[in-house]
Amino acid sequence: MKILVCISNVPDTTTKIKLAEGNSSIDTAGIQWVINPWDELSLTRALELKEASGGVIKSVTVAHAGPVSSEPTIRKALAIGADDAVRVNSVAKDSFSVAFELSEVIKNDGYDIIMCGIESSDFNGSAVGGMISEFLGIPSVSSVSGISFENGAILITREIDGGKETVKVPSPFVAVVQKGIAKEPRIASMRGIMSARTKQIRVVEPAGDVRLTEVVSYEKPAPRAACRFVDPENPALLIELLQNEARVL
Amino acid sequence: MARQIIFALVLIITLAVFAFTVKRLAGFFSFTGPAFAVRDIRKRLILTLKVAFGQTKIFRRPVLGLLHALVFWGFCLILFGSIEMVIDGLAGTERSLHTLGGFYDFMIASGDIFAVIVAVSIIVFLVRRLFLHVPRFEGIEMKKRSHVDAGSALTLILLLMVSLLTMNTGYVGEMAAKGEPVHGIFPVSALLAGVSAGLSENGFHILHEISWWSHILLIFLFANYLPYSKHFHVFMSVPNVFLSRLDPLGKLSNMDSITREVKLMLNPETAFSASSETESPARFGVKDVQDVSWKNYLDSLSCTECGRCTSVCPANLTGKMLSPRKIMMDLRARMKEKGPLMIKNGKDFEDGRSLLGDYISHEELWACTTCNACAQECPININQPSLIIEMRRYLVLEEASAPGELKSIFSNIENNGAPWQYSAEERLNWAKDIGFSLPVFSELNGSHVNPEYLFWVGCAGAFDDRYKKVVRAFAILLNRLNISFAVLGKEETCTGDPARRSGNEMLFQMQALQVTELLNGYGIKKIITTCPHCYNTFKNEYPDLGGSFDVISHVEFLNTLIEEGSLKLNKQLMKDVKITFHDPCYLGRANEIYSEPRQILHSLTDGYSEMERNRSFALCCGAGGGQMFKEAEKGKSEVFIERTGEALLTGANIIATACPFCMTMLTDGLKYNNREEDVKNMDIAELVLQAMET
Amino acid sequence: MSILVYTENWEGKFKKLSFELVSYASALAEMMNTSVTALSIGSAGTEEMRKLGTYGASKIINIADGGVGVFDTRVYTDIIADVALKEGATVLILSNNISGKALAPRLSVRLKAGLGSGVSRLPLSLDPFIVYKRAYSGNAYAHLIIRTDVRILTLAQNSFVMKENPTGAEPEVLKYEGAVKPMTEVAERSVQTGRMLLTDAGIVVSGGRGMKSAENWGPLEELASLLGAATACSRPVSDEGWRPHEEHTGQTGKIIAPDLYLAVGISGATQHLAGVSSSKYIVAINNDKDAPIFESAQYGIVGDALKVVPKLVEAVKALKK
Repeated sequence: MKILVCISNVPDTTTKIKLAEGNSSIDTAGIQWVINPWDELSLTRALELKEASGGVIKSVTVAHAGPVSSEPTIRKALAIGADDAVRVNSVAKDSFSVAFELSEVIKNDGYDIIMCGIESSDFNGSAVGGMISEFLGIPSVSSVSGISFENGAILITREIDGGKETVKVPSPFVAVVQKGIAKEPRIASMRGIMSARTKQIRVVEPAGDVRLTEVVSYEKPAPRAACRFVDPENPALLIELLQNEARVL
Repeated sequence: MARQIIFALVLIITLAVFAFTVKRLAGFFSFTGPAFAVRDIRKRLILTLKVAFGQTKIFRRPVLGLLHALVFWGFCLILFGSIEMVIDGLAGTERSLHTLGGFYDFMIASGDIFAVIVAVSIIVFLVRRLFLHVPRFEGIEMKKRSHVDAGSALTLILLLMVSLLTMNTGYVGEMAAKGEPVHGIFPVSALLAGVSAGLSENGFHILHEISWWSHILLIFLFANYLPYSKHFHVFMSVPNVFLSRLDPLGKLSNMDSITREVKLMLNPETAFSASSETESPARFGVKDVQDVSWKNYLDSLSCTECGRCTSVCPANLTGKMLSPRKIMMDLRARMKEKGPLMIKNGKDFEDGRSLLGDYISHEELWACTTCNACAQECPININQPSLIIEMRRYLVLEEASAPGELKSIFSNIENNGAPWQYSAEERLNWAKDIGFSLPVFSELNGSHVNPEYLFWVGCAGAFDDRYKKVVRAFAILLNRLNISFAVLGKEETCTGDPARRSGNEMLFQMQALQVTELLNGYGIKKIITTCPHCYNTFKNEYPDLGGSFDVISHVEFLNTLIEEGSLKLNKQLMKDVKITFHDPCYLGRANEIYSEPRQILHSLTDGYSEMERNRSFALCCGAGGGQMFKEAEKGKSEVFIERTGEALLTGANIIATACPFCMTMLTDGLKYNNREEDVKNMDIAELVLQAMET
Repeated sequence: MSILVYTENWEGKFKKLSFELVSYASALAEMMNTSVTALSIGSAGTEEMRKLGTYGASKIINIADGGVGVFDTRVYTDIIADVALKEGATVLILSNNISGKALAPRLSVRLKAGLGSGVSRLPLSLDPFIVYKRAYSGNAYAHLIIRTDVRILTLAQNSFVMKENPTGAEPEVLKYEGAVKPMTEVAERSVQTGRMLLTDAGIVVSGGRGMKSAENWGPLEELASLLGAATACSRPVSDEGWRPHEEHTGQTGKIIAPDLYLAVGISGATQHLAGVSSSKYIVAINNDKDAPIFESAQYGIVGDALKVVPKLVEAVKALKK
């Protein structure tokens, strides 16, 4: 069996996002790029599955659609333990185009389990995983918080409202995973880092040029207001504000 | 004649057995790796005179220390007599060295007196072991074998002393009965001989003969028993001290194999090409005995299982699994198990077990706070922390294994340059509305200003809410004193200290090389820092990676200014306030800075009081070695609660600290004890600012 | 041409978010001069379906489960796509919840419809069709053009207020005629009863040392229960054993991101904030006006927690009436 883990290259979570000239993109100066946190957990779980499978799962491949500047992040994934990597040489335009390109790679190489993080911390699209499954016409399970091997069958645990459900689907399938899929992300060992430096990243050219959406501009959210103090003698006002203003109750 | 032949035979057997043992041990040593080059011979000789012969570290426990020192000195003196016995035995002579005259008398007399002193000390030690419950003699590593070993060795020594005295008594009595001159002076034995006047000449002769043979045979037996006993330190302690690690305790050794890799990674040209060495480097860190250095193994052979290290270990004191003594005993035991197998089957032989895992657990390793109390306490300069860190290095670098929280700090340091998740953009928040224009290196380009000092703020100073107030106070001090300085602001990134202490040598070196490049880029020569961890790594560890700077801690800096009169303090302000000081491990034991903070506090108040455990005896706050960032390992209590309790016993109103981690821990300790209203935890910088005359 | 809104039901019942979706669709329909069709799959009864009409759905369809019985994304995608095509829907609205995230992407590929996920407002313009969506995990918002004729939007939860707009429409019950068979087999299902999982909770009520002792937790627990919230605590509280270890939030405990984090008697030390700073709203109650927590809170009360919390409990009870 082969696992494919789709990874996204995103700015580190502490980055202070600034908008570039014209607001049509963000200012990438000084940004530290990392593997999308959900994908990191996804990759960790894939490696754990492989190690526990007693040889049934032969390899974990990472796939990414992006320019050559993404390669350090792909190497990080290799250093953590992925066996090989493939990069579609394109600039990610929208979820649809990314999903299309990755689907072509999967079609050509044949994978049994495809794992995608439920969202990426830059676009928050929550789309690529589901789209890949539809492109390929295969089952998808979403909001997956657990995946394991038991007696030769793959068991997938997904969140449902107010609880959990464990399901089985025939492979190949797409598992769209969320936090909880792995306890904590793996870090790279020294040997992993050393070998990742020299591993070949297979590069393929994009199969098409499709996109359905486009970001025309960004705007910064209104700055976090300073704390609004409520009179301790009138706590009911707080409840009212939470309900009507913040709309969290 | 027959006597000589028998003696010679016995001597040959003894030497043969000893040679066998030496060969075996040499074989074991051949499996170990390099430690450091043995240089600074003069320094080493002085150290040996002090620590080994002067027994200075043993005296850290004064009363018992004295008794042990007496035993040691007694052994040294009695050695003279033992050498004479061997000569006598082979040559068939009696008291052959008496020709040395006055010197001989002195040596023999001292030996005679010390035989009693040693015997008394040994009896005290035996009584303690057999009848008193001494906590440091217990522990999971102290199995029955250790207690039997201890008792046997002590008993052997006692018998040696008794037989020496009876031998001398017999000699004196025999000579007196014969009317022959006595060679040597025997203050004690002469008395004993006088008391046993009832014995005939023959009686004394028999007493002498039996005692002589008993004594020399016991020596031979003892000599061959020692290498298999905890008392091997009788042979090994002096060499072990001579071969001490001379680095400051706070310094961890650099892994050169990692440096090669990191430099390749940081250079864009070589970043993705194979290294020129086709051979993969040897294992990173220590997993099993073949990975340790010769010094680690020498340490383990010299270890007397005295337990002083464990008795001062903050982790052990609070019930965690870690015991520094156990670490050394485990190494010795594992080599004993695997050494013979490697001799037989080759160095690469694997028996399916290893030191890390089967003897020493991960939990023990992750409990260490790297406070160096164990290394400080060891009477023969064993360095336990270096072995603990080498095992952490194995776990992190080879197995990518570490407690989850530490993995998070590794990611954070790598991605956003600090152990916590904060953006570098926020590194100057502490200086908001500070009241003067804070000089920042990146903004000085082009101006004529060339600051004399870099004020290194550190990650805690930048992001910890409480410590921001401390660095702010220090910056205000620098400004008021017109010190020429600047900060790096957003360009600051972690020194890598938490990574190195946690075993992530690769991340540490990446940070160190990058920080060094940054500092050199600005031509920075002098660094002042308010964080002892940053201080320690800049001062002791960055030079190995090409970063040589003049590093000054904030307490040293302030103390110098006070001493030279540039910084004047209002002595009336806190004159009667009771203040105590908690020594940060990374200024104290790690770098021997004890007096400067005290001098500052003495110039602030007349109410200074010491905690019971202070200076090199100070108890760690519990935050070092990565503990700050993770859940404590399972134990019975918490280190920070212990230490705060101790501070509160002084009756102080202010607990003064000089480190961001100590401050977090002690402040938490005050909250835990519900004393944060009446007792305050302040940094020395804050106290100085308060008392500064404007 | 219409707007199709997928209103999920839970054992035949709708929730607040269902009506928010219909209200949104209704408002959008008004903008686009068209109508709203609400689609539900499964076992919702007629009375329940009618409620969708109250919020603006002029056509209400219920596709009987047909024994599907399990949430299989291929089957559900087929059902919804089929209805969308039949209804000539130009916009599909789903929630950005578990099912919405599972279905919207598949529908996007199936219908070649551009997807705008996590929108929190009505479109900024219709031609070109531009929506406002969350990006960079809330650090920036994107104006996204959807260039296709059919568009799919998933609505962020709690972002649109439900508004009544009765149409009096009667539900139609249809059967699924498609050929897609479910491939998902359920092995086990467990629904949490009682205490809500801290990491799942949308609202968290948390207590710190300012609560003074374990005995004072009653009002906090009551408040949590009334709000359907989970309870949490700061580290010293769990160290002292006042609350279970699992409730400890912070750098070395749980890291959570609820919509509302109520910090009662918590000073806001860095290590604690590290665990909760991604919360949408932080509300702090502390008697120290200089407590660092107020720097991270949107709302705060400077006062004695032991006095304030019972009053909050009363206020919430009044609200529920």
